[in-house]
Amino acid sequence: MEAYLVAMLVFAGLYALMALGLNVIWGLAGMVNLGLVGFVGLGAYASALLTTKLFWPMPLGWAAGAVVAAAAGAGMALIVARLRGDYLAIVTLGFAEVIRLVASNEIWLTNGTDGISGIPGPWRGDVSPQGFNLIYLGIVWAAVAVAFILLARLSHSPFGRVLRAIREDEDVAAVAGKPVLWFKVRAFTIGAAVLGAAGALYAHYNAYIAPEGFAPLLTIYIVLALTAGGVGAMRGAIIGALFVMLLLEGTRFLSGAIPGVSPVQKAALREGAIALSLILLLRFRPQGLIPETTRTKASP
Amino acid sequence: MMQTNLGRRAALLGAAGAASAFAIGGRAFAQTQPLVFGALPPLTGAGGPYGPAMLRAAQGVVEAANSAGGVKGRQIRLAFEDDQTNPDAGVRGARKLIDVDRVQALMGTWASSVTTAVAPLCWENRVPLFTVSGADSITLLPHQGHIFRTQPNSRLQITTGSNWLIAKGAKRVFHIAAQSPFAQSSQEVMTERFSAAGGSVVGFIIYESNKTAFRSEVDQIMRARPDTVVLNGYRPDVTILLRELFRAGYDGRRFTFAYAAPPAIFESLPNEVTNGLTTFQPSPDLNSTAFNRLKASFGSTDVDPYSAQVHDHASLAILAAAKAAEATGTGIRDAVRSICQGDGTKVDNVTDGLKLIAAGQAVNFEGASGPCEFDERGDIRGTKFRYDVAEGGRYRMLELA
Repeated sequence: MEAYLVAMLVFAGLYALMALGLNVIWGLAGMVNLGLVGFVGLGAYASALLTTKLFWPMPLGWAAGAVVAAAAGAGMALIVARLRGDYLAIVTLGFAEVIRLVASNEIWLTNGTDGISGIPGPWRGDVSPQGFNLIYLGIVWAAVAVAFILLARLSHSPFGRVLRAIREDEDVAAVAGKPVLWFKVRAFTIGAAVLGAAGALYAHYNAYIAPEGFAPLLTIYIVLALTAGGVGAMRGAIIGALFVMLLLEGTRFLSGAIPGVSPVQKAALREGAIALSLILLLRFRPQGLIPETTRTKASP
Repeated sequence: MMQTNLGRRAALLGAAGAASAFAIGGRAFAQTQPLVFGALPPLTGAGGPYGPAMLRAAQGVVEAANSAGGVKGRQIRLAFEDDQTNPDAGVRGARKLIDVDRVQALMGTWASSVTTAVAPLCWENRVPLFTVSGADSITLLPHQGHIFRTQPNSRLQITTGSNWLIAKGAKRVFHIAAQSPFAQSSQEVMTERFSAAGGSVVGFIIYESNKTAFRSEVDQIMRARPDTVVLNGYRPDVTILLRELFRAGYDGRRFTFAYAAPPAIFESLPNEVTNGLTTFQPSPDLNSTAFNRLKASFGSTDVDPYSAQVHDHASLAILAAAKAAEATGTGIRDAVRSICQGDGTKVDNVTDGLKLIAAGQAVNFEGASGPCEFDERGDIRGTKFRYDVAEGGRYRMLELA
């Protein structure tokens, strides 16, 4: 049981990191990014390839994952400079699909749909499986802590305020003399870097990545985590990720406890329960578990 | 608008309450007294049509073993999780089965990506993994003997299919494949087989499996004038390809994997399009008593090869646990080959097998999927293949070899 809880906390930490990255792009700058799994995939592939093919040390691989994703994020921000709302969402969704298709077709580089296996993990094999789990738990949550502190500071800095201004009304921010595009590019870059780092950490924990792992399902989980936690608040991203992991895993045990339903019905009930909880949360607590507190929002 | 917002404290308290409810639930259902096996079939997602029957097959075997007295007096419990046909969900499900249920063997993973993702967990925790995934790369992983695969790997499948086509006189073959782990390796095998037999592969296209139109691909096929087209894809794309080939007036042989053209394809295509389509698949041993018993227990419905294989997964795990000195993952891993190959008494069900093993006799299990013999890498040997031809909206078996 302990090993399972530790493993799930590692996954929750990885989700939290992704939610933090998304929060910069979506929560602060207001750009709907449904392509986050693309950046996660880029980071994962970059690190996996550099450490397995070129034998880079793992920390360098993780950093490279973040850098590659950040570069893609900057490019993406420039491409979508004029898009907002639904249109932006569609383009980013397409970006993630492009990454997935490239990963499954450029076999010489990515090994295609077979995926990359045998990705090293820190001290994996030298310590017991549970020892590795605990080491990774430390690494992932340290990364979450660092990202949280930096991003929380960022969000309360003048830079963060400008991003929020752009989110609320781009034109007003522009009229106030803020170079909107430059701010958007930087927000996208920072967010994508965090997503890429999360992807890299994910690859080294699972030891295996394949294009199928970067399907839109993961995007949905992270978007839900952020919505549940509270869009805009950095603490909300972490609480939301924990909440989503609790729903995903907790429903396993709850559905197991219902007598008289077939396995397929249990699987369906489980997915239904996850959806229902989130609908209820959004109905009765639309601002999320931890809403963003800003001076403008304090007194409606 | 009505405002019925929960306060932050109430919301967090609610979440914490839910958390502790889950934790208590988990404790109450994590009994470890009986011998526990884990099934990880795809109950939802792309494997959804197969997973439920696979699970039912394993459950049937466990019930039979329990009514025969279990393994050395210990009852058997089959824990299961849905892998959602997704590697991420599969890993979390496997974690739960291994760490919470403390399973001694895992069985029934279907998608190759799920199997590859779950495999490291299995060998690190010394849990044998029985799988139906076909990708060649799976048994090449450093699995230290923990993987047993009852599905012939894709190289063996395409080699067998090619040899059959050569025997039927195919000379000019066109290979059109959906992007998959075996598209490229299939092409290599086919080129090698056909040129050795004096024929040739006159064209090769890889396409993206969710394409919806194949006009240019079909034009290329027609231009190459093949006598046989090998459709190496999945059901949605093969359905469209068959229709477009018919429209283009192609009248040669069309050859595909049975999973790409299951009987349900007759509902979406008129008979004049499907007539003459030849399918092949690794086949359960249709005449074996184990297969017929499984078929009877399923009612009158057809038994797919995956269910037959998972039936054997559960049987192998149970008999190996009974044979092993200790019913642990390592014990089962080391005992599997001693109960399914060799000179022991042939058995085709767990009831007889458990009885003979308890009496100290050697057994040789032959299951619903076939003789169940594994080579040193964990790959199955000597599977039969069946070939069917579509005629008037149903399949007629041509050959079982």
